[in-house]
Order: sequence, then C-alpha cells, then structure tokens
Amino acid sequence: MIDATSRRTVLLLSLAAGFGLWAVAFVVLYAMLSVGCAFGWDRGSLVLGLSLQRLQLLLLLGIFLALHVALVVGLKARQSRADAATDRFLRSAARLAAIAALAASVFTYFGAVVLTTCNP
Amino acid sequence: MLAGATVIFLATSLALAGAFIPSVRPLLTPKRLILWGGLVVPSLGLAALVAGAFALGERLLPRQGAETLRIEVVARQFAWEFRYPGTPVATRDVLHIPVGRDIDFAVTSEDVIHSFWIPRLGGKIDAIPGHENIVRLRADAPGTYGGICAEYCGEGHAPMRFTVIAHAPEDYEAALTSEAAR
Repeated sequence: MIDATSRRTVLLLSLAAGFGLWAVAFVVLYAMLSVGCAFGWDRGSLVLGLSLQRLQLLLLLGIFLALHVALVVGLKARQSRADAATDRFLRSAARLAAIAALAASVFTYFGAVVLTTCNP
Repeated sequence: MLAGATVIFLATSLALAGAFIPSVRPLLTPKRLILWGGLVVPSLGLAALVAGAFALGERLLPRQGAETLRIEVVARQFAWEFRYPGTPVATRDVLHIPVGRDIDFAVTSEDVIHSFWIPRLGGKIDAIPGHENIVRLRADAPGTYGGICAEYCGEGHAPMRFTVIAHAPEDYEAALTSEAAR
C-alpha cells in the first residue's frame, strides 16, 4: 500500500506525463532524422518504396503514439479507484493533458510521414 | 498575412462587441468563449499556418531542375560576396538576380557564423565556415530588396547589409556584363 502523499506525488507527476512524452518524442525524432540524413538513409527504397529513413521515422512515431494511447488508457483505468475529490480532479486533469498531448503529437509529427526528410 | 490578421482582428472585435448587446450576451458563456476562443479558432489558425509552412518548406528545397540558377554566397566580417558560376563576376554587398526563376544560394562563411536573409523573399539560412548550406529563393517582381545578416557576428553585425536587385530576365545578363566591366 502506498500512502496518500506518495499517491498524490505520482498523480502530480502524471499531470506532466503526456507532454513529457511529447518532449521525449520530439528529441528522439529530431535526433534520428539528423542521423538518418548524415548516413544517407533517405536514398533508395527498402520496403514498399519507402526509404530506411522513412521507415525508422514511421516506426518511432508509431511507438510514441502507442505510448501516448497507453498513457490515456492507463489514466482512465485508474480513475475508478479514486477516492478523495482532490485525487479525482488530479486524475481527470492528467488524463485530459494526456489526450491533449496525444493530439499534439499527431499534429506536430505527422510531417515525418509526408515531408521530405533531408536536403536533396 | 495582413488579410489574415485583419479577419482575426475583426472577428475578435465582433465577439467583444457582442458583450454589449443584451440579446447576444447570454450566448457568450465562459465555456463557449474558452472552447471557441481558446481551442477551436486558434487550432484552425495554427493548422492553416502549419499547412502553409509545410507546403512552402517543400518548395524551398533545392531540388535539381533545368531552370534553377546557382549563386554562391560568401559571408565574412562584415561583408557579403556573391559569385555567379559560369562568369568571372563577383559582387560585394550587391546581389543581382533574375525575376521569376528559382535560385539556389550556396551559402558559406570565411570566419564566424553569419545568416543570409532577404526578408521579402523568404527563409534565412546560416552561413557556416567550412560548410555549404543551400536555400532556394525566388523573386516574383523586379525591384530592389534589402538583405541582412540575421545572426550576430561581431561589432559590425548591424550594418552588415546587402542590396538585392531583381532584374527582368532580359536585363539580367546585361547587369552581369556591366559588373564584369567594372
């Protein structure tokens, strides 16, 4: 059993979880985009006409979107066990923030699917 | 940009004016104002700007094309040198370009990092020693445009400007010939 203080600490941290994940995705996608361009992964096609560069970006984006969805679902599952009003508010706010972060990731990173990745 | 800003300004003014009209005031609930003013309208505006930026970004990429012209840009404290491949011409702080043609500017520096920017023509790009960056720009109308160094590069940074003269296609070669004769 965890005490009320620890539980609220976790809840407070979960408020930042969604956009924390968004920030990690930003750094990882940006870094791997640059690595791919430096190594010429955008040249040629590997599978289904997609370059290694596009494939790795799609894979990373898929992983991060799955983590976002898992976070939203996880926060919903915990919602029913909330007891105090403060806990309920924190859980609800954390879940809404996680949904906003999921939407932000789709909006911000869909360019990795359609845009040219490296200078021709 | 001006048209978009005008539309947003007028829409916001109308919404504010609504607060003084008794029949409209009940419609302006806090929830609606937050939902429309804080979420829906900004999201639509941002989506339009992002779509425009993505499309413009793709257009600025230096893809190979028969119509593309290349000009070399060398920055140094505190001047710009422009070289025109295929000609012996090099100009200092004055850049000649033809109108209506994509131009790839190959930008580098001889000392510190500078940034090449012609605000009215589009994006800027860093001039980095030992490295060549390329930006594609295009002037649609003849005339004179201002160019600046957009990265602080030392005490002569602020006056490190250049002039861009966009010539009609038939006048461009003559302008280069005239520069060569100097």
